[in-house]
Amino acid sequence: MFLKRQMPAIIAIGVGLFILFGHFINNPNVQGFVNNDATQWFDIIASFAIFLGALNMLKLQVLKVVKKQRNWQYSILAIFGFAFAIFAGFFFRGANYITLTDIHPQNVNKLVEYISTVQEVDDPVLMVKGIQGSLASYEIPKIFISRSSAEAFSVTISGIAKDVTLGVKPWGAHVQIKGSLFSWMFFKIFTPLSSTMFALLAFFVASASYRAFRIRNFEATLLLVAGIILMIGRVPVGELVPWWLVSTLMVFGIGALIAPLIPDKKLLFGIIIGGIVLTSGLGILLDWNLAVNMPAILSLPNISEWIFDYPTAAGSRAIMIGIALGIIATSFRIILGIERPF
Amino acid sequence: MDLLKKIFIALGSMDRRFIFLLVGLSVLLPKLYPDLFTLPIKASSHSQRVFDEIDALKEDSKVLVSFEYGPSTKPEIHPSAIALLNHLFSKNIKVYAVALWPDGNFMATEAFSQVADGYGKKYGVDYVNLGYKPGGEAVVKGLASDIRTMYTVDLLGNDIDSIEMMKDVKNLLDLDFIFSLSAGYPGSKEWVQFACDPLGIPMSTGCTSIQVTDIIPYVENDQIKGILSGMPGAAEYEQLVQDALNERGIVVSPGKASINMAAQSMAHVVIVLLIILGNITYYLTRKSGKKGGM
Repeated sequence: MFLKRQMPAIIAIGVGLFILFGHFINNPNVQGFVNNDATQWFDIIASFAIFLGALNMLKLQVLKVVKKQRNWQYSILAIFGFAFAIFAGFFFRGANYITLTDIHPQNVNKLVEYISTVQEVDDPVLMVKGIQGSLASYEIPKIFISRSSAEAFSVTISGIAKDVTLGVKPWGAHVQIKGSLFSWMFFKIFTPLSSTMFALLAFFVASASYRAFRIRNFEATLLLVAGIILMIGRVPVGELVPWWLVSTLMVFGIGALIAPLIPDKKLLFGIIIGGIVLTSGLGILLDWNLAVNMPAILSLPNISEWIFDYPTAAGSRAIMIGIALGIIATSFRIILGIERPF
Repeated sequence: MDLLKKIFIALGSMDRRFIFLLVGLSVLLPKLYPDLFTLPIKASSHSQRVFDEIDALKEDSKVLVSFEYGPSTKPEIHPSAIALLNHLFSKNIKVYAVALWPDGNFMATEAFSQVADGYGKKYGVDYVNLGYKPGGEAVVKGLASDIRTMYTVDLLGNDIDSIEMMKDVKNLLDLDFIFSLSAGYPGSKEWVQFACDPLGIPMSTGCTSIQVTDIIPYVENDQIKGILSGMPGAAEYEQLVQDALNERGIVVSPGKASINMAAQSMAHVVIVLLIILGNITYYLTRKSGKKGGM
């Protein structure tokens, strides 16, 4: 019981208080602990958390298959994906490379031709320059997943240089090297799947906006207008919106705001039409078609930037301050042992 | 008039698959016929600020670039990464890459492979990729204190003490600038809170559009020197870098963000039109509903 309840609380309270007060104690050992050791502890725990998370995911998926829960077939795919990633990461490097030593200068162009048969060469001239600069030892910019394919290619290019050697990228590094099995999995499976999932959002956002973005009250209207200005103002097409359209929409907006104060609809209509004629006339007189003459307020990109810089920044600050106060309160509750999420 | 009302009401009950088709076409057509959808790209003050900050760095300055994004947000942030590396390498600035996201490793590797060779930059001499470390803000804090407590080897397994450009770098204070390419947590906010603000190191960020609201207060406070907001920000920065490099005689082809901006513009226009159409239908049906009720 002590190990399960009191011990975690003592560790959390002790370490929490020590790190908190450590910031106010000007002692190199304490500062060293707070700035270095504690962060390394955190890193080690975070690494274990990844390990535990992966195991937990595996356990859940296996249980789903064993118990044949709803949609268990997808779990087989998840387990297979997990096993494949583990295989490509820990058991099979699939990152063979070829190094040429003492390349004959007259064979450089031929080598580029050979390389282009196994690897897309964006700029052959640049590659020729690169090889000419490393004639003594040049690593072919192609990683072979299987050793047999690397050997077959090395036989093809055997006459190009004095010596052709095969190597395998070191463990750990193999995961990141473009062309390895792990990298192939990332770029050919994970990347398209992940991009597809994210891209689908555009369609759902469009459909949801069409159905749910309604002018129901003042707040909804404000949100809608700001949303539309940002959507158009943040993309290049916003630059093409003419000043007269923006000024007309502004007059309509003002009309909508003052409408409840003016019961006479004819008068309201007159004010709106008068406003449109006035702004349009001013624009023609002052030549607002020229970008330098146009008031900044009539440019949608400027309005969208203003929305970002002022109302958005103010709202975000308020949220951030609220979150910060919440974090302080929660931290104190944990440090004092009132709350025990562990 | 009644016919018009009926048309709008019928449009209001449009099948969602038709909306999907419209959005799909609005993205596809500008990609298929880019010449028909050429739009001007004008830099916002935030993108201009990022460009000016990077451009003001001297030759041989040291810049840390943190990759905190993955494949899902690659179209928004990767163009910023490519333009940034073009800008930095063209000025002979040394680049130190780290990743706070595991996917960031791949993004960094790809970005370097796309840009470094074009400027004849050598790994370990002109740029280094230290790779991913789990821990988020703890990693940032650790780097601020001592890089070697976090990284003993680089991404390729080389001892970092054997890397030439790491020799005179102990912690973040030895760097001149930090650039966070961020798609969420951990990301730009953690860099500001645990490194750049406490140590006084200037930083800028390129992030997803959805993150801008979270980061803009730091930009307004000048804790972050400019922001590249999503794909529009990336396109603006690409344009600024392209113009600057062309002036210096370096030919750079238009970046992916600039090419994709037409598609994004059209998609936004379609969504806005759909919202307006939806509201007209809503207004008409509500009005006829009220009348029916009476």
